[in-house]
Amino acid sequence: MGGVNLHLKGKYKTLLPKAKQKDIYPGLTYVDNPSRIHSLHPLIKLALLFCFGIMVFAVSTVMGQVLLFCLLLTACLLAQLGSSFFLRRLRFIFIFCFFIFLVQALTVKEGFLIWRFSLGYFHLSLWSKGPWEGLRMAMRFINIIGSSFLFVATTDPNRLAYALMQVGLPYRHGFALITALRFIPVFHLELEQVKNAQAAKGIELEGLSPKQLLRALKYILLPLVVSSLSRVDNLTLSMEGRAFGLHPQRTYMHSQVLSEKEKIVLFMIPPAFLLLYFICNCPAALLNTILNIAKSLWH
Amino acid sequence: MTMPLVAINNLSFTYNGTVSPVLRNINLQVYPGQFLTITGPSGCGKSTLALCLAGFIPHAYPGKMTGSIHIQGKDTRDYPAGGLSGIVGLVQQDPEAQLCTLTVKDEIAFGPENLCLPPKVIRKRVLSALEAVGAKDLLARKVHTLSGGEKQRIAIASVLAMNPSLLILDEPTANLDPSCTREVLLTLGELKGRQKTAIIVLEHRIDRLAGITDRLFYMDKGRLFTARGPDKFKKKYVPSKRRHGPMSAGVQVANKTNASNNNKVLPLLTVENLRAGYAARDVFSDLSFSIYSGETLALMGDNGSGKTTLLLALLGLLHNTGGSIYFRGENITKMKASQRAREMGLVFQNPNHQIFAPTVTEEAMLPSLYLSPETPGQIKGKVKKLLGEFELLKYENLNPFTLSLGEKKRLTLLSVLAYAPSLLLLDEPLVGQDSRRLGIFFAALQKHRHRGGGALMICHEPEVVHSCCQRVLFLEQGKLLINAPVKEAFCQLEKMGRGEYLPLQAEGKWGE
Repeated sequence: MGGVNLHLKGKYKTLLPKAKQKDIYPGLTYVDNPSRIHSLHPLIKLALLFCFGIMVFAVSTVMGQVLLFCLLLTACLLAQLGSSFFLRRLRFIFIFCFFIFLVQALTVKEGFLIWRFSLGYFHLSLWSKGPWEGLRMAMRFINIIGSSFLFVATTDPNRLAYALMQVGLPYRHGFALITALRFIPVFHLELEQVKNAQAAKGIELEGLSPKQLLRALKYILLPLVVSSLSRVDNLTLSMEGRAFGLHPQRTYMHSQVLSEKEKIVLFMIPPAFLLLYFICNCPAALLNTILNIAKSLWH
Repeated sequence: MTMPLVAINNLSFTYNGTVSPVLRNINLQVYPGQFLTITGPSGCGKSTLALCLAGFIPHAYPGKMTGSIHIQGKDTRDYPAGGLSGIVGLVQQDPEAQLCTLTVKDEIAFGPENLCLPPKVIRKRVLSALEAVGAKDLLARKVHTLSGGEKQRIAIASVLAMNPSLLILDEPTANLDPSCTREVLLTLGELKGRQKTAIIVLEHRIDRLAGITDRLFYMDKGRLFTARGPDKFKKKYVPSKRRHGPMSAGVQVANKTNASNNNKVLPLLTVENLRAGYAARDVFSDLSFSIYSGETLALMGDNGSGKTTLLLALLGLLHNTGGSIYFRGENITKMKASQRAREMGLVFQNPNHQIFAPTVTEEAMLPSLYLSPETPGQIKGKVKKLLGEFELLKYENLNPFTLSLGEKKRLTLLSVLAYAPSLLLLDEPLVGQDSRRLGIFFAALQKHRHRGGGALMICHEPEVVHSCCQRVLFLEQGKLLINAPVKEAFCQLEKMGRGEYLPLQAEGKWGE
């Protein structure tokens, strides 16, 4: 029996090759790390994300957005995700932001004219407020997407779901999320198998004409839907057979309830962000005055 | 005498929308601690009986139920929906579809949590359930990293955590390889010894359960029969060598022709130093073997040893990272899968992934339309004949997805046979086939071989390998350990201590 056991231990790894596991949620995945950000209670992180999101839209100065971005970077450093986290994962987002910047910079016509280019009927002009406006929009975009990425990368979705259920989310909704997460790798494998099965029948799914795309869609979706429907039946039996839905409430083996300390932190978040809002939205002049006053007081 | 745990009296059941009853006048009494095995062909009503016992019928499935089931003295109809969940536990065939959370801990705690037990009690139950299935080392694991056998054991543990008085297992090993099967069966044997729980196992093939079971039953067309002793039982219901007699004779003939031809004839397929895998990892490396026409090779090995990957690589669905493949002497290593498909027919393990057409006939014709040079009219005639041989003609205009698993598997095999490829690549073609349908499969395979076709078949049933294959390839962790005629291969397997891969009736004889 010893031999069999030994054999099994190494085996689970071969079921889903490591490279494949990574591909399952491309770019957007929870990265297990023992950092301070990771160990924060998921609800605190959710509140932070929520407040941060509101701030990004409420703050209207470029400097304010830059300040928020600095906060985000600090959080990323604390999360120990590696310096490449932003550059690698958000590459596409950065490119997109650059386009937002260009479009904004070239379409906003406020302030004074800096530069003008004409070619027949085609005109391009750059006004003084354009680049600032472009920068603000691009920063907003980066801040929103970046904070969401950070949240996803540092929050175990399973823990989040259990935490939400324990503070009042109906457990049926919580388990809808958990079950969906559970079956993502399964679907991924099935998709591969369906594609293989078609190739084995001599059906080539390459080609991009509408007819070919439609056929590919039909041949891929139908088997996937059918196999998931048959799964759903079995899953229902399995869950209901274990008393799911029998009582309006359920208990939890691991408590995810907030501790007293965490509760205090949670209540501190909105006022902290309110303060941040005033700092970010201060016109630069006012900030200078305050600094000057502070300096003179110091001396 | 104590009160029976389960008392079924004259139970009959008909699903809504159908005419003939699935269960007919069933009578059965089960006492605490008993271990029952019920076997029978596919579609005999085993699973329906399980649904009745677990209370899903009549609560969740509409139909006409007469007679009664009393569990712990109370009629199942008098329990509220879901009220039986702490008393009767049901483990199903597909280990994948019955785990609903992300970690082993959460999965086993799931049931007790739903029963609103206090956390302390839940923790105790999780540990004792894991211990009962011998899987304490899996406690910290994530569900998607488990092997099939481990998943099935966790599924059993998650049901045991409910402390059921009756545990029903519906073909618990159908999707597992021999070592996982052995793992699960050992678990069942242990459970029998230590729990007061009564256990009912529904299985197609009962060979390996005969040692543990207290009472054997046979179901056919909705009726339940008792069987006195395992021996008498085997004679009647288990596919034996005698049944495959003509097949074995065929093997002998083919072997002879092969032996005389081998010197002159090119092999159908030759693989040299083949290496393939996913991304940076090779699943197997340095594989070399040949398949001659008229030969059936069994491909054996644990899950994850690279069997399915090998079939994919042979057809070109997976790019090999080294080595070469020759078909009838021609190097086809660089050929695309669509070009190889004409001569190599691959039948996948899960039929649901390879059914695309709206009716059974169209599905059977589909690959031929792409791959066969014949006209659609000719193909249709051929397919019709095959449908008759495969006992599928009565479904010809139905949607293939409404068929049972075994029927779907026959349909997918048929659709490949219809364009007559020279080489069949079969991935566990026998799952879900009862002994009678095995006969159909053997006959088709024999015909294919007489035409000069070769076959490479992943098969987890040593008995079948013994009676219908000529050679065995045994893979372990991507290495070809054995490539030998069947008897010699079994002999080597026995020396390696892999008894689970040997035919039962002959275990212990190979070393001589």
